[in-house]
Amino acid sequence: MSCGRSQFLEALALGQASPSLEAELTIHLRSCGRCRHELRWLKTEQALFRQRAGRDEVAHLWKGVARRSGLDLPRGVWPRALAALALGAAVLLAVGPWRAEPPSGLTAATVIVATGAPLPLDSETAMSHGPADSREPEGRSPMCSTLPEGLGFHCGPVQRASVVASR
Amino acid sequence: MLRLIRRPEPITEETPDEALVRRAQAGESAAFRVLFERHVVAVRRFLRDLVREPHAADDATQESFARAHAELDKLSDADRFKPWMLGIARNVAFETRRVRVHEPLDDDDEGIPDAVIPSPSPEAALLDQELEQHFSEALGQLSAKRRAALLLRLDHGLSYEEIAQTFGWTLPTVKNEIHRARLKLRAALVPHLGGRR
Repeated sequence: MSCGRSQFLEALALGQASPSLEAELTIHLRSCGRCRHELRWLKTEQALFRQRAGRDEVAHLWKGVARRSGLDLPRGVWPRALAALALGAAVLLAVGPWRAEPPSGLTAATVIVATGAPLPLDSETAMSHGPADSREPEGRSPMCSTLPEGLGFHCGPVQRASVVASR
Repeated sequence: MLRLIRRPEPITEETPDEALVRRAQAGESAAFRVLFERHVVAVRRFLRDLVREPHAADDATQESFARAHAELDKLSDADRFKPWMLGIARNVAFETRRVRVHEPLDDDDEGIPDAVIPSPSPEAALLDQELEQHFSEALGQLSAKRRAALLLRLDHGLSYEEIAQTFGWTLPTVKNEIHRARLKLRAALVPHLGGRR
């Protein structure tokens, strides 16, 4: 087929020949008809293979691979779930109806409740509240400033419940 | 908030196969996904040419990558993913063929011409869909093993040494099989070359 240089010609046709080999073969090809003949065949084969390439539809194949390999758990499920739980817990801790002892030293405590729902006036619920000189607008609980926006909390007008004196 | 684990380096187009293999071996599924996306077209094409049926090629492709994922720890040379992957695909194809069709995997040497075959024009061959069809048919006439060896060399660019390792053949055997496959292919194409020289 050629004068013993088939493998080198193949490398040339495949684009795998080093620059020095390519230069050597270029010179040889000028005088060797058999190698020119062989190189034409090699290039034809290469062209036909390249032409057939890129026609395979493969986008649908990953699903089957993931299923067979157990890789089909959606990415990021666990971190997002944990983040959601943590956020929910943080919100509950911030605004949940926790009982708390009023600070000591108070002779009278005015119960200030900030809620969307009216509190019965005879409630004996005592809740700690923010400092008396809160910068909140009048009638608005100091707790309102700590609540996150846009989470459905409504800081309604302050309602005064029964005063519970504590010492 | 929950970044307790240090984030790995992002995977880019420049990330070499070797790095992806190591990360996949360490359990990073995203790295294996990228390996899949890089090599699935070549593997699917190789299997399509071996099993010669689209649905069987799809199934064999999925099976090949599933096996690769399961056996990735056995790949000691991380930079040899492509030939290793094609080797798995070849085994899957041969199992498929053995199950589906009881045909010999080896070839006889009938029909290999002794005379020099006239050479075509590569440029003319490119434009000819009919010739491409004959080319596919001629590939199908080769035995599965010989066809696989030829495809690995000419279509997928594996070296003779890599093919020898994949098949468990000696180097002279690889060269001989590819040479014979090539001669048969050319002989089948010559009648259809016509004036394309």
